[in-house]
Amino acid sequence: MNDLLAFLFAAVALIGAVSTYFQRDRFNKLIAVGITFGGIVPFIVDRGYLDVAIITSLIIPITTIIILLICRREIHDA
Amino acid sequence: MLGEILHILAAAIISWILFVTVDILFRLPEAGGVSGASAVARDIEAGGGALAGGIMMGNIVCSPDASAGTLLAACGVYVAGIPGGLAAAVLVFIGNRICHDPGYAGTTGAVLATFVVYGFTQVGFAATDFIAGMVIAILTIQGLSHAHASRLLARLWRVRQ
Amino acid sequence: MIALYVVAAIAVFAAIRATVERNTGRKLPYVNVMNFAVAGALVLLLDHPLSLVAAAAYFVGSTLEANAIASTYAGGGRRE
Repeated sequence: MNDLLAFLFAAVALIGAVSTYFQRDRFNKLIAVGITFGGIVPFIVDRGYLDVAIITSLIIPITTIIILLICRREIHDA
Repeated sequence: MLGEILHILAAAIISWILFVTVDILFRLPEAGGVSGASAVARDIEAGGGALAGGIMMGNIVCSPDASAGTLLAACGVYVAGIPGGLAAAVLVFIGNRICHDPGYAGTTGAVLATFVVYGFTQVGFAATDFIAGMVIAILTIQGLSHAHASRLLARLWRVRQ
Repeated sequence: MIALYVVAAIAVFAAIRATVERNTGRKLPYVNVMNFAVAGALVLLLDHPLSLVAAAAYFVGSTLEANAIASTYAGGGRRE
């Protein structure tokens, strides 16, 4: 990975991170966290840690689903 | 340099035709296979698009369909030739079941795309051209203008009916 | 290796479009384009058989995430 590619993928991760800060809606916040992860995973693969990339790719959606369940219950109670 | 760009554009057109044909043959614009697809279709229709095209775009978002099959088959052919493409088809099949999608559009698309991509690698194309071409093809459907793309898909769906 | 630059540029473009769009339902197709681009970039970055499994795992995982967000959004929209 050269400097230009590192810049492009870092831009994706930073756009996601800054966007997470500015979103108000909870769905938009979760989507922006997903964009952040999309920018980070090429750096993991570029170092050769393919097993780490596979396991994080499977864990991150599960955490999102758990957060969605918590959000839904909170609205239901309120 | 210029030849590679032309190869990528040609691969984009080939994979666009391949995945739109398979998706429309498997009746993706007819009904939302999962409940999230109809929500995406509703918002696209509210933004000025057509409903049938919106449902197909929602199905592409919510479950690995023929477009995902084409991308992963091109990746498989790039890393391991024909066996890699068939392994990608198996992975797409598992992905379909994980996402509660009962259809076979993704698996069929992956198997077809394996042979198409392998055939084009024999005549001078590289498998990487098809990976970049598939990303350009999905960009034209999902990423440029939802209203125009959904109207185009709805028109193709009426032709199939 | 011009394919990798094309794919990375499309990932940045899709991330910007997804950030600018306000409506949640119309945001998801842009995120889907970014997922395609990143899954393609994973294989192009490292030519190894396990890269295919990593790309498939990333793609299926992010599709499952979009599926969960969209279906909760559909149900939540009706309830609110």
